[in-house]
Amino acid sequence: MSADDKPEGPQSPRREELPAEVPAGEPEAPAPPARDQPRLTGRQRLVKGLWPPRVTRPQLIVALLLFVLGLGLAIQVRSNNDSSALRGARQEDLVRILDELDDRTERLEEEKRGLEEQRTGLENSSDQAEEARKQTVERERQLGILAGTVAAQGPGITLAIEDKKEAIEADMLLDAIQELRAAGAEAIQVNDVRVVASTHLSDAGGGGVRVDGRKVGAPYLFKVIGKPQDLEPALNIPGGVVQTLEKEQATVTVTRSEKIVVSALRPAKQPDYARSSSE
Amino acid sequence: MIAVLGLVVGVVAGLLVRPEVPAVVEPYLPIAVVAALDAVFGGLRAMLDGIFDDKVFVVSFLSNVVVAALIVFLGDKLGVGAQLSTGVVVVLGIRIFSNAAAIRRHIFRA
Repeated sequence: MSADDKPEGPQSPRREELPAEVPAGEPEAPAPPARDQPRLTGRQRLVKGLWPPRVTRPQLIVALLLFVLGLGLAIQVRSNNDSSALRGARQEDLVRILDELDDRTERLEEEKRGLEEQRTGLENSSDQAEEARKQTVERERQLGILAGTVAAQGPGITLAIEDKKEAIEADMLLDAIQELRAAGAEAIQVNDVRVVASTHLSDAGGGGVRVDGRKVGAPYLFKVIGKPQDLEPALNIPGGVVQTLEKEQATVTVTRSEKIVVSALRPAKQPDYARSSSE
Repeated sequence: MIAVLGLVVGVVAGLLVRPEVPAVVEPYLPIAVVAALDAVFGGLRAMLDGIFDDKVFVVSFLSNVVVAALIVFLGDKLGVGAQLSTGVVVVLGIRIFSNAAAIRRHIFRA
């Protein structure tokens, strides 16, 4: 009725013809009273429609349609309320939102890639720095063994020289040291003096030898780190160190050992003139 | 009375059952609801005028809903869906207001 029920005046011809239809449409409705009192007011009609409730065909049909309306209303209100704004959005809005999201995703992806590159670079450089530091430490230790600034331990031999007649001279000890170096000795200690590249030996007055300016007397005890199988034969070869020393009435003992500790140290000396050069 | 009960039951059912609306129907639901509301107000006014007819009500209700959905559908196809649905809502709103005015005059005599 509503669509046809335009707000025309009551003078509309349709309005005149419709009341006649109503009783025909609702046979069970109180048609005779309606005909008896055609001037029933709207308010009275409303009250009569509401109470008492009558199960009539029009009422049922209207109830069905209103049920559908209420259902749609509730669904729409709920979907507008509880789900995101996207649910009610139109297609073009959704497309726009999607485009924006794509753009944003792309931008963030790019940013992420950049940051990851940066991270990889930093990790690499820190790895390299760590590796370089390790190598430097290792190298420092090796050089320290050579320079005598750190203690060393490893397999090797001990060479003990008993000199009752005080016939041992510096050049004999130097020969022994040279022989040991040639045989691959890596760290040498005479009594409590470390022998390094710059070590010098000289005769001291009244028996004994000066090693690096420090007096070392008999018995001489060499601690040598190196391959024992190489060092011992090198000393014992015919006409070698041991025989030469024994010719001087000295008692020489060579002992192999799996663990020799060279603990005498030499202070590191900063060179005055020489500087490291990369070439 | 039964009609009012139908409306209440519908609202309650919609809130409780939470039915899933198919995606095809979804964009037309709000405009269809507004069209149905217009039909209901028209029906109420007709009842107060004493010229209510259930057949006319059913036809107007359904045709209102269908035409409203059709207009929105057409608008979407033409690319003016948003504007057209606004237009439909405005027109239906005007009709609801004028019907409500007539109902008010009946009930409050003012």
